[in-house]
Amino acid sequence: MSVSLPEQLPARSAPRKLATGVNPYAPAQARIMRVQDLTSEIRLFDLRFTDAALAESFNFRPGQFVELSVLGVGEGPFSLPSSPTRRGMFQLGIRRAGTLTNYLFDHVIEGDFVGIRGPLGNGFPVELFEGQDVLLVAGGLGMVPLRGLLHYLIDQRDRFGRVMLLYGTRTPDQVLFREELESLARRGDAEILLSVDNAQGKPWGGRVGVVTELLDQVSFDVTNTYAIACGPPVFYKFMLEKLVARGFGRHRIFLSLERRMECGIGKCGHCAVGYTFTCLHGPVFSYWDAINLPELIYT
Amino acid sequence: MQTLRMNAGLLSSFLEALKAFGTLVAPVERSPGVFALEAIDDVSQARPEALRTILPFKKLLLKPRFVMLERRQGQYGADGADNDLGPVVYFGAHSCDIHALRILDLLYLSDYVDPYYKRNRDRLTVVGYGCMPDGKCFCQSMDTSTIDKDFDMFLTPLDGRYLVTVNSARGDDIVRANQHLFQPATRRDVQEYLERLKEREKAFTLSLDVTDLPYVLELKKDDPVWEELGKKCLCCGSCSMVCPTCACFNVRDECPEEDSAQRVRTWDACLYREYALVAGGHNFRASRADRVKNRYYHKQEAFVREFGMPSCVGCGRCIENCPTGINVVEVFQYVRGEA
Repeated sequence: MSVSLPEQLPARSAPRKLATGVNPYAPAQARIMRVQDLTSEIRLFDLRFTDAALAESFNFRPGQFVELSVLGVGEGPFSLPSSPTRRGMFQLGIRRAGTLTNYLFDHVIEGDFVGIRGPLGNGFPVELFEGQDVLLVAGGLGMVPLRGLLHYLIDQRDRFGRVMLLYGTRTPDQVLFREELESLARRGDAEILLSVDNAQGKPWGGRVGVVTELLDQVSFDVTNTYAIACGPPVFYKFMLEKLVARGFGRHRIFLSLERRMECGIGKCGHCAVGYTFTCLHGPVFSYWDAINLPELIYT
Repeated sequence: MQTLRMNAGLLSSFLEALKAFGTLVAPVERSPGVFALEAIDDVSQARPEALRTILPFKKLLLKPRFVMLERRQGQYGADGADNDLGPVVYFGAHSCDIHALRILDLLYLSDYVDPYYKRNRDRLTVVGYGCMPDGKCFCQSMDTSTIDKDFDMFLTPLDGRYLVTVNSARGDDIVRANQHLFQPATRRDVQEYLERLKEREKAFTLSLDVTDLPYVLELKKDDPVWEELGKKCLCCGSCSMVCPTCACFNVRDECPEEDSAQRVRTWDACLYREYALVAGGHNFRASRADRVKNRYYHKQEAFVREFGMPSCVGCGRCIENCPTGINVVEVFQYVRGEA
């Protein structure tokens, strides 16, 4: 199977248009088809565009994101934990954190409609990964965009080498997609190592400690492996240099960054770091590009 | 491009004629020495020689606040009519203003075209006016003191007449509809223009050395000067509001009445504390020093790397309006170790 993805576009290149409409600020309507709690604070929403043609054609690159809005409440950027290899529906993994997300948790139920704009940004350069080993390292909510990439890799399993996932959370009950990950490991599609900062006396078969320590438990050929990291600022602070210390070239490490975003299309300025718009040039950057942008990783 | 002349006494007839092409907007003197860009009916109010209006022309393209999307009584609309300013003729644009317009075009008309900006931009007629710098102008250093594109007409005042540059088909339309106002430019007009140009270039008193400035800033990114500047800057955002190239905006939803909702877009500034605040409370630029430094780096380092020119046109508005007297030129001179 071969999946064609939207092109990676350098910023300030050809004029472009969002799948969800000519006016890039106007959302397309999508329906919430299913809601599942992943943890007490993180919820997985399955969505489908009301417009059937858009629902079927909606294509994105793992690592891209969408803006979800409820008019009158607000709008916010969310990464996609689903893969373009599975069309018709897409998913959003959302943490309760502010006005909009509180509304989504407290008032939005299956069958409701929301607005979606996207896909936005540049995702992972998955073409580079073909024939290579792929090491995913996730911290906390960073698992959400990496789960979309993980699905993309395992849905085309024979096009990639080893698929490894190192994933750390604070406690066992914060592990996202735990059953699914265990199943992937069991069937041999991916090598998965989990860690928690604190097991809190709960049954836990993984490691207890910080996620960077998991790196010491796997061996890999850095000349044939790409590392993809996603997590909070403190995770990047330790993980990225540790990957370099393990021998990864900085151009072989990719990361996805969070910033305040309003427009998602490189206009409003909020996510600008220098003149790089996290929403337009990113949110995926190579580590080399990222360290050359002061403030990009942490302030 | 076509070069004509117009007698100075015909200026008011010319401005009356411009009204046929849209709402006439020009600098007017609100109080002694204070100018604002306003729609005028009485053309004698126009003060095109005024160096800087409080707010620049960007308000003619994107209002400080407008409704982008709304739902009213179940009807959904995204036409942004609230920001539709109709055809506008902007009289009194200086070279720096027109350079700023080019920078806004780069931002709003590349990649995803901003439809709210584009609608007004497409119907904006720009009639420039030659100025003479004061002590706060440093466009010469920014390479924006002259302009040869992205305007429709440009009037340069000479003794008792104007040298008129026609630079677009729309400018040509204006001339063809008012041929009685114009004559071909003579060699003497051209000679006088060149003399005025020389005189103007000599009139600048403020200058900023931009040689290798992006790299100088890179080298100085951990310099204590930014902490010091953070202590002096109130982060009031005045410099951003009056800056002709600052165009950041915020988006928020409002419910003005029962069963109606609006997505409202307002001008924003990177100096405001909430600017880089994300859900969960993390602020990527929590200190004033971080924010003021970001503004300076954005203008003179990052934008240069991206587009090959600074996003500052040297208009001097930020110098004029800073309540604590921060002078952008002095800051960069200090960074260079020259002050």
